[in-house]
Order: sequence, then C-alpha cells, then structure tokens
Amino acid sequence: MNKNSVLRWLLSIVVAPVLAGGLLINPGNANAQSSAAPGPEVCQNCHADAVKLFAGSKHGTKADKRTPVNAGGCVVCHGDATAHVKAGGGKGVGGMLGLSTKSVPAETINKTCLGCHQADPSRLHWQASVHASQDVACTSCHKVHTSHDDVRDKITQPDVCFTCHKEQRVQINKPSRHPVLEGKVSCADCHNVHGNNPKQMAKSSVVETCYQCHMEKRGPFVHNHQPVTEDCSICHQPHGSTIASMLKSRPPFLCQDCHASSGHPIQNAGVPTARSTSPGVLGTVARGCLNCHTNIHGSNSTQNSATSGRFRR
Amino acid sequence: MSEKKMQHAFRMTALAAALLAVYGSAFAAEGLVLEENSVAIGIGNWSNDRPQGGIYDGMRDSGAYGLLDADISKRDDATGTWLGLKARNFGVDDREIEAEWLRQGDIGVSLEYSRIPRDNPYIYNTGVQGIGTTTLRVPTPSIAVGSGANVELGTVRDRITAKFYKNLGVGLNLNVSFRNEDKDGTRAWSRGGAPEFAVEPINSTTRQLEAILSYARDRWQLSGGYYGTSYDNANGLVVTSLTSLAAATTYNLSLPLSTKSHEFFLNGGYDFTPTTRGTFKMSYSTATQDEPIPTSTYPGLVWPSAAQAPSPLAPRNLDGQLDTTLVEAGLTARPMPKLSVVANLRYRDFADKTPVQGIVFTGATPTVYNTPFSYTNKTGKLEATYRLPQSYSLLGGYEYKGQDRQVPIVGTLWVPFRQKLDESTYRVQLSKSMSETVNGRLAYVHSKRDGSSYVLPGDPFEDAINPLNIADRKRDKIRAMVDWSPTEKLGFQFAIEDAKDDYSGQGPYGLQDGSAKLYAIDANYAVNSDWQINAWYSRDETEANEITQQSATVTKYNDLRETGDSFGVGVRGKVSGKLKLGGDVEQFRSVNKYKQTLAGGTLAATLVPTPDITNTMLRIKLFAQYALNKSSDLRFSVIHEKWSTGDWSWLLFPPSGATAFTYGTTTDGTTVLTDPQQSSTFLGIRYIYRFN
Repeated sequence: MNKNSVLRWLLSIVVAPVLAGGLLINPGNANAQSSAAPGPEVCQNCHADAVKLFAGSKHGTKADKRTPVNAGGCVVCHGDATAHVKAGGGKGVGGMLGLSTKSVPAETINKTCLGCHQADPSRLHWQASVHASQDVACTSCHKVHTSHDDVRDKITQPDVCFTCHKEQRVQINKPSRHPVLEGKVSCADCHNVHGNNPKQMAKSSVVETCYQCHMEKRGPFVHNHQPVTEDCSICHQPHGSTIASMLKSRPPFLCQDCHASSGHPIQNAGVPTARSTSPGVLGTVARGCLNCHTNIHGSNSTQNSATSGRFRR
Repeated sequence: MSEKKMQHAFRMTALAAALLAVYGSAFAAEGLVLEENSVAIGIGNWSNDRPQGGIYDGMRDSGAYGLLDADISKRDDATGTWLGLKARNFGVDDREIEAEWLRQGDIGVSLEYSRIPRDNPYIYNTGVQGIGTTTLRVPTPSIAVGSGANVELGTVRDRITAKFYKNLGVGLNLNVSFRNEDKDGTRAWSRGGAPEFAVEPINSTTRQLEAILSYARDRWQLSGGYYGTSYDNANGLVVTSLTSLAAATTYNLSLPLSTKSHEFFLNGGYDFTPTTRGTFKMSYSTATQDEPIPTSTYPGLVWPSAAQAPSPLAPRNLDGQLDTTLVEAGLTARPMPKLSVVANLRYRDFADKTPVQGIVFTGATPTVYNTPFSYTNKTGKLEATYRLPQSYSLLGGYEYKGQDRQVPIVGTLWVPFRQKLDESTYRVQLSKSMSETVNGRLAYVHSKRDGSSYVLPGDPFEDAINPLNIADRKRDKIRAMVDWSPTEKLGFQFAIEDAKDDYSGQGPYGLQDGSAKLYAIDANYAVNSDWQINAWYSRDETEANEITQQSATVTKYNDLRETGDSFGVGVRGKVSGKLKLGGDVEQFRSVNKYKQTLAGGTLAATLVPTPDITNTMLRIKLFAQYALNKSSDLRFSVIHEKWSTGDWSWLLFPPSGATAFTYGTTTDGTTVLTDPQQSSTFLGIRYIYRFN
C-alpha cells in the first residue's frame, strides 16, 4: 500500500468514529401503540381477506407469545387505527401505515419489520446493506398477507429479483447457467440480500460462497491457479453465459488476458480444418486451452517435470 | 471484458409488484406453483429429446413423465404447532421433498431431500475404455470416426439438509443446520499430457454443519457460532494410457484431495439511539488438506520416463492450511432528520500457510515449488444520503479498497505479479420516490484502480502484458431506472445501464478496454380485474478489446462483441369463475462476434477464422385451469421449446463443410456429437386437489 492509499484508508477509519460520536445524541421516534387501539375483530369488518390470512399466518399464531397477534394485532405494524375507524376508514385516513413505498418511506416500513426481525443473524447488518441504501423496503419483496410469499419460494424467488435486476433476467436464460429456472438454485443460495457482504454474498467472500457447492475448488493444491483462491468471478459469470462453464470470455481470449508466453499460449483463435493434436491449433475449439490444461483450478501432481505446474496433470 | 454488475439495485415499486403478479412463475420450468394445502398429480409428455433444455430438469429424453407435487401446511392453533410437507417434481429426476415440524417460538426440526441432476448435452462416440473408473485406456490406433460407443455424461447431487431450532429463553435462540451432499457421475475431461478425450470420475461427499446461538435484547443483538465443512473425494488419481500400454503414454492425472475446515464467528449490532446503529463481524477459519499425495504415495505407478517419476525429495503430504480472518465494524446513523450516513471498515486476511516445498527436482535441487498465495483486503466505505424536497434524495459515497498480495519468492513466475492494489470508488445518485406516477433514480459510479510496480516473469512477451485482475483500471458506470404509472391500469419501467472499463499498466498488451450496455423496458396493463397483460424487452451489449503480442513483427488485435435481444409477453386471466387461462412467450437471442486482426501475420492454413455465433431460445407456455368443484381443478399445460445454436466449439471446418469435432489423429477418435437445432413440445395434464 503506498503512502496515499494508507492515508485514504486511515482517513476512512478516522471519519467513521468521529461521525459516530456526533450521532449518538439523536433521539428516536419509536412507534408507541395504544393498548386501546382497535384490533383485528374491528379491522376484519372492512379488511376480511387480510385479517383471515393474517390469522392463519406465523404472525397470527397466538401460541407464540412474540407474534403481533399477541401485541394488539394489526396495530403492531399498521399503527393505531382509532382515528381511522372513527373517520369511517379510507386509504391513509387516520394516519394508518399502508406499508407501501408509494406513501411511506422505506426506512419507516423497514423499522416496523426490524422491530422484531433485526435479531435474525442474517439481518443484523441490514441497515448497511446495498438494498437499504437504495430504499428497498421489506414489503418491496415480501408479501405478508398471503399464504405464499413468492420471494421465499425457490421457484418464484428469481421472478421477484428480476423485477429490478434486468441484467440477470437475461443472463439466467443463456445456455450455460446455474439451475435457477428449475428451482434448484435460488438467488438467496448465493446472496444474503439482507446483509452487507461484498456483492451481498451469502458468505464473506465470493470464493467462500462458491465453495458451498464447489468445495473441490477450495484446495489448497500443490499447484494453485492464483485467481481461483481470489475470486471465481475473475473468469466466470455465475448468472449465465453463452460460453461453456459460465466463462466470461472464450478460450484462448480469456486465457490470453493474463498469459502471453511465446509459443502456443499466444496462438491465434481459429477453428481447425482437420483433426489435430497440435496445442497451437486446439486452443479455441473443444475445451480450448483446457484440452491440455485440464486441471485448471489446481493440480496435485508431483510428477518430476518442469511443466508440472501448468495444470496438465 | 467489462464487469457490468449492478451493485446497486433499484427498489421494487408498486409497478414491479404488479408485473410480478402477472408474471407469476413465468421463468419456472413448467410454471406450476401450488397453493398451500393442495396436491397435484398428473402426467406429461415431451415430444422430442431436449439435450439443452433438459440439462437440469431431469427430462432430457422424450417420453412420458409422472407429475406429482404437494404443498401441505397445517397448524394446531392451541399449541402453535405447524406440520409441513412439500414435494416437488416427484415424478422426475430432480425431485425434492421437505418435511417440517415446528412449535412456533419454541422448537422445530426440518428434513429436506433434493436431487440435482446435470446431464451433459452432448453425446460422446468413443472408444475410450474405463469411463467412470480411475483407469482409462485411450484407443491406439484411433477408432474409425463414429465406430465407438455412444456415451452420455452427467452428474447427480443428492442433498439431505436437516435443520433444528430451539428457543432457549427470552431472545435466546439456537439454530443448527447440517447438509450432506453426495455427488456422483462423470465429467468431460482431457488427458492432460495430450489433447485426447478423458472422463473425470466424480464420487465425492460434501458436508456442512452450522450452529448459531443468537441473543437479542431491546437494543442489541449478538450471534455467534461454528461453521464446519468437509470435502471427501473417493478418488485421488486417474491413470490414463493408450491401449498400447506403453509407459511413455501413461499420464497420471491428479484429482482434488479431501479437505476440511472449521470457522468460528461472532456478529453483533447495537442501537445507540433509534437512528444510530453500530455493528461488527469477526470470524476466523482454518481449512486444511493433509491427505497423502497420490502421485507421491500410490505404489506401482507408471511414468512416461524414470526421470519423470516423483522425486523422493518431493513431499508426500502437502500439509496445506488456509487461514481466513475477518474483522468488520460499521455504523449507520441519521445525524440530522434529512441526512443518513453509512460507514464501514473491513479487514479480511486470507493466509495460505501451506509450507513452500520443492516439487520438481534436478538432482537434489528444487526447480518447481508449490504455489501458496495469500492476500489481505482492507476496505473503508462512507456513504451519505440527503433527503431533498418533494421526495428527492441525493446519495454520495466513497469506498477505498486496498489489497496486499503475495508474490512468490522462489520458482518460476508465469505471469506478472503486483504486491499492492488500490482502488477508489466514487458514487453519486439522485432518486425520486413516494410518487404515485413517477419514481426512479440516476446513478454515476467512477472508480480507479492502480497499484505497486509489477514483478515480472522475465519472458519478453509475458513481461509486456497486464493481467486483467491486477491491471490498472478506470471504470465508469451510469445507471438509470424509471417507473412510470400514467394510469392506475398502465405502468412502464425503463432501465439503462452503461459501463466502460479502460485497462492499462506496465506493458501495452492484454485487455485494453471493455464496455457493457443494457436497455430494458417493461410494461404492464391491467385490462380489468380479471385480465392482465405484461411485456418486456431487453437489449444487452458487451465489447472487449485485447492486444496480444505474437512476435517482434506480429501483433494480434481482438474485438469481441456480444449482443443480446430478449423479449417476453405474458397474459393471465379468468374466462369465467371456473376457467383460468394464461400464457407466456419468451425469446432470447444472442450474437457473438470474434473479430481477430493480425497485424503483420496471417492465419495458419490449418485454421479458419472463427465465425459469428448466434444462439436463439424460444419458449411458449400456455395453461388452462378448470375448476371441477370447490376443491379440485384440472390443469392443462402446453410448452413449446425451440433451441438453435451456431456454436462451433465442437466442430471442425474442412473445405467440404463442418463436421463433428474428433479427438486425436492417430489415437483416440472420440467424436463429440451436438444437436444445434432442438425443438420439443410438452403436453401435460394435472388433477389438483385442495383441502383445508
């Protein structure tokens, strides 16, 4: 790290605590609920479907003393409905929290949910997540008054994510991809969307996330291919690619972005006109460079050969 | 090449929710998502084989498949006890079933079984013997093209997941999960020492155990625990040779060896005030690989020559150890009513503590060493959002990433290395929210990466390249997304992304620049309360420019481009109280261009220039669901898939016209058969029964 970079890093270290000191005095605005507020028995007169679904949900389970139904019911999330009822109802009348981002700030909605759900280990860092900074509300993705929350179902979850992530909607239909369409891998298998890991990964890094299913790549190997331990996405596009093995680019082009030794590593791309065993003409077709460098993620060979570190055995 | 990751997602608006309602599960393979407490049983038939469409869904071959799905969830109101059972795809190979028992707020267990097949879409006509075993024999002389046996390759993952939950007191919870995955099958491989066909036998077990104890009170939350993994590979080595069994043709191919890891972690958060929160993360893990190295320890191995047999000085055990340490602290706050701030510091150290040992020797002198690689990342981030009038907000952010990277001090360098990387990223964004008609945001991100001087391999060509992961890089991104709802029934969503990378470094060669663009428009129209229509279109464009030095007089310029056009239309509606209809049409088309210009040189006569590749996938899905009575439906499904590709990866181009790729010249003769035009239609009928 050069002097400038050290200074920048130190600056960010210093700035944060200073800000912290100045922020501690800010008062909160917790919603206090009136114990006399109308409960579900009143709300169902106009919101029968919502109350019925609520009663049959985890939120409506009376035997669990932590649930909203044991703390006043609808008012826990939507606020005191006294004025709303007195005015005869109506959208937003009486200061009701509709939990829609069209009328309520995302932060307010999220605060309502986090009052109970912050304790979940995967949500401890929500406030520092990219989704939080982009004003994504819990209700942007989750449906509460339903028996089927699409985002919690592996089959329907990608549809929810694709409503904002248009690029991934295209990539996941490319010929080389993970089995997301089949519901065998979901977005949440790789991403903790409630967390603040880099790229919102489920684990603390890209490689640790990938190792959950591809642990054979973890090594350590006798001969390590350095990018493998650093970041799989240097070479792979995990959301889908037109190139086999979800590669970002096709051999030999991808390999030649790092390797330029004289000889066959700097070969031209081209399709052979006939059968061949020449490494100089087989870097493009079939498995490309991997036609010979077959253990590209790492090799455990101790063969006494000067080329044994080239992932061929 | 350019990464066009959308690091900052746009929030899902009411329009997006409406689109989702119309979409339903348009992307799911068959599109059926059962209502709670229902069972569906039926039969379906694919008219033709689907090598591409059936890679993962267990329905690669034409023919009839049983269809059985169930979603059952029952609650005992008095005790808050839930019993759940979900079964999916029980008639096909990618079946899964999950059972759950939960006394809510007290104790719960669940058990899930899931199978994930992966069928290689190609057929290998081969004479290679021993496929699926650790001993392979490659024909010599070559078999006549097409005279071998047709072999299909693939893997199956059988996964069992068990979870346990127990509330141990107010705010104190224990969660334990365990996953066992057996992976079996075969994977296309190569013989390494020669470009000949080989098959990797897959027989491994991965286990993961996680136990988390979490405790929360009004203002603070803590969670800590253990995450342990093991990877056990039943095979350590594959011995390959020609059928002549000549020693010189024997190649011993190594496989990944068994490993295990242990991680301990502690995370926490504390609300200093209702708007000020501090968080931290700490974890330490160690992964080890201490298996005997097969090439050094297996008795009786044959080597191409006596000199290539592993040296007695080479290690018999790697004693590999990877230690990872993570420390992170963060703060989020609202120092003023209109200003919110996020600050974060992160330190992650990946230390490869595997001892450096000689692997290859000339006499007693080591010439090739093992290659441990360690690095340390330090990240600091500060981001502030200021709320402007009329629900506008302005976000500004700065992030610094510093990386210390290990450079080998013994052995040969194959690529340039750098000891330090520094990257600064600046972000500014203007957003509009909480409007009934127009919401959206416009963001600009600029980052600059550089680092220390390069440590060069000493090869005149390799010295002049900037490896893409450590090259200097300037990156600019613009993202815009707008939701527009002109009426309650009609909504649009527009998205534009434009990213550009410029690479540079100590030499003139390697990746020069890359760009990525995405344009997307979605529309939704609610005809009435019973009918909804949606449509969308996306265009994605990527480009990368590379320069490779081939000699003092020949330079290669590559201009790589991919353009994609995708669209979808969906309709859902009710014809009557008893009949629901729906359909989706989706098409994805991509064109890859590989323009290679040789300054001062020509392409060898044994090669032809790489043609453009066009891939097209069309999927049409229709369904009709008729209510027989209050508790049962009949559902008819039709899916038509069409796949077309111009991919030449497994082709040869003799003057007489393209032929299937065949391995070897005088040996092997394995031919890889692809099916570039695929079309298949699925007809299915299901009886759905619902109960309370």
